[in-house]
Amino acid sequence: MKTSLLLRLFLGAAAFCILLPAALLVLWSAAARWSWPNLLPESWSGRTVAELLFGPQNIWPLLGSSVSLGGAASVLSTLIGLLTARAAALYDFPGRGLVRFAGLLPLLIPGTVFAIGIHLVLLRAGLADTAAGVLLVHVMTALPYSISILTDVTAALGCGLEEQAAVLGAGPARGFFAVSLPELTPGILSSMSMAFILSYSQYFTTLIVGGGRVKTLALVLVPYIQGGDRSLASVYALAFTGSALVVFALFETLIRRWQRRGDKL
Amino acid sequence: MKKLTALFLILTMLLSACGGKDTHTPDLSAASWDQIEEAARGTSVTFYGWGGDEDRNNWLASVAAPYMKEHYDITLEVVGMNIDEILAKLAGEKEAGSAAGSIDMIWINGENFYSAKENGLLYGAFLDKLPNTGNYIDTEDPETLNDFCMPIEGYEAPYGRAQMVLYNDSAVTPETPASAQEMLVYCQQYPGKVTYPALPDFTGSAFVRNIVYEICGWEQFQTMEADYDTVKEAIEPALDYLRSLNPYLWNQGRTFPDSSTTVDAMFADGELVLGMSYSPYGVAVGIENGTYTGTTRTFLFENGTIGNTNYMSIAFNSPNPAGAMVVINAMISAELQLSQYEQLRNLPVVSPAKLSGEERAAFDAVDMGQGVLSQEELLTHRLPEMPAKLVPVIEEIWLSEVVGK
Repeated sequence: MKTSLLLRLFLGAAAFCILLPAALLVLWSAAARWSWPNLLPESWSGRTVAELLFGPQNIWPLLGSSVSLGGAASVLSTLIGLLTARAAALYDFPGRGLVRFAGLLPLLIPGTVFAIGIHLVLLRAGLADTAAGVLLVHVMTALPYSISILTDVTAALGCGLEEQAAVLGAGPARGFFAVSLPELTPGILSSMSMAFILSYSQYFTTLIVGGGRVKTLALVLVPYIQGGDRSLASVYALAFTGSALVVFALFETLIRRWQRRGDKL
Repeated sequence: MKKLTALFLILTMLLSACGGKDTHTPDLSAASWDQIEEAARGTSVTFYGWGGDEDRNNWLASVAAPYMKEHYDITLEVVGMNIDEILAKLAGEKEAGSAAGSIDMIWINGENFYSAKENGLLYGAFLDKLPNTGNYIDTEDPETLNDFCMPIEGYEAPYGRAQMVLYNDSAVTPETPASAQEMLVYCQQYPGKVTYPALPDFTGSAFVRNIVYEICGWEQFQTMEADYDTVKEAIEPALDYLRSLNPYLWNQGRTFPDSSTTVDAMFADGELVLGMSYSPYGVAVGIENGTYTGTTRTFLFENGTIGNTNYMSIAFNSPNPAGAMVVINAMISAELQLSQYEQLRNLPVVSPAKLSGEERAAFDAVDMGQGVLSQEELLTHRLPEMPAKLVPVIEEIWLSEVVGK
């Protein structure tokens, strides 16, 4: 009884910490003027919502490029992460520790230093100011997280089940797809979500490497937050968070559906 | 592991492959204006500048870009980026030796212009090439020719003008302090309800320079050496004044808000009774979108406030300088300046003496909205900026001599 009360208190506190700021965003995005000591805004306005949806700075292409960049980054980073994780967790080879450590390196370098350095490299490679260059950098930013999440789940699963499948006559591909992959799905899902949100919220790296030519939602959102128009910043923040949540839900449904189909086979 | 090795190899190859494009920035020094316009037809021009002003973004997208398309068949691409990042990007491109960059036009002024010009990040002189320079700009006006006392030498063209103003709500405080001394009395009357943005915020820094002008006069700074001790000695009376202000400021002057946008928000929330701004018509916009009350009004110091001009320049590695010149030429035309004046409430850069009667009437007919001062009132109370080199010195002195003292 006591634990459930504690749990409820904790959940309540967590909900309060998340929902209250979110509710404030909703109120601010529709508020024209909200001064102390009023509990609610004194006047309302649809200005920012109209601006977001129908303004000359069209939200839809921004959403499209942000989501496709994030989606591509999450798939690539999870794919590379999974291969790295299997190598590092299941095989013993010289330099295994080094591979694991090297996977975390991009985390150790401060973001701005990383962005400016990689910009020089990509300039020489002719990839600066291109979506491919931005995608590459987003994947690099997300990889440490993908690798560490997937290494943990791969190590926990081990290769015992796959060996058993091999004993029963399954080839290595079937062993992996039919036996290990379904077990790894939650890990893959968290790696994809993590990589997506990292790519989705990149500001400085996108700006420097993409040179402003590769436009994302974050690139438009951040100047509005700095610009001090709280209503406009709120409405963009809501669009940002809301769209990320929709993509998460989509990932989850797709993977669950795919997994269910796998179960039937 | 094999796959990883292969991937690593591909990545390395991708990264080291020198795909340097060899399109050099064309030389237009001998070209006539007709040739430049012809070369610009059908091209696209990128304009990099601060992207935090929703109204300006909208104006560029809905007025300027269609105008360029219609008149010159130029596609104007506006890219929102802070000036620090633009300069970092240009410096990176210079270091990498990449011949063609991606930035054509830059929105710039002051210290940033100074450092960009010193570091060779700008294209060069082009102002005299533009027909509208002769048509609309007062080329004798020292304010246009000098950007924070640095001669522009044709490296940039004026875009808009700003001026420091103060504002408060007549329903909350009836007084409008018209000098530094009245300001002190005002702060004593409303203790804890006045402050200014912490330097090096653009507006905070200009406010402190304005106080320096109030107390020490402005002339001596125009030619002053950017030497810490010289400057400190010259502004000592102003430092005394700022320290005497501290006890009556918000949080007793121990800390200051981080930016002018915070000060604007604190004023809108009623936490402060006075604010300062570099947009002389900002109050009218605030009243219109409901952020400020209808009784908010703008005022100036009697001895004048600092005004400056912001400019458009061309990057050293611009892939399309001809297109950039055509766009800049259009931006300083009476038509687009009028449109900025109407829609953005931006002080125009065109010289009234050079306008036709019809054009002047169109400017005069613009309704600037509530709570603001007339263009004439502003321009007759306008003081020149200090040399760009002095600005960081004063910011440094303020940090060690004023905050919390």
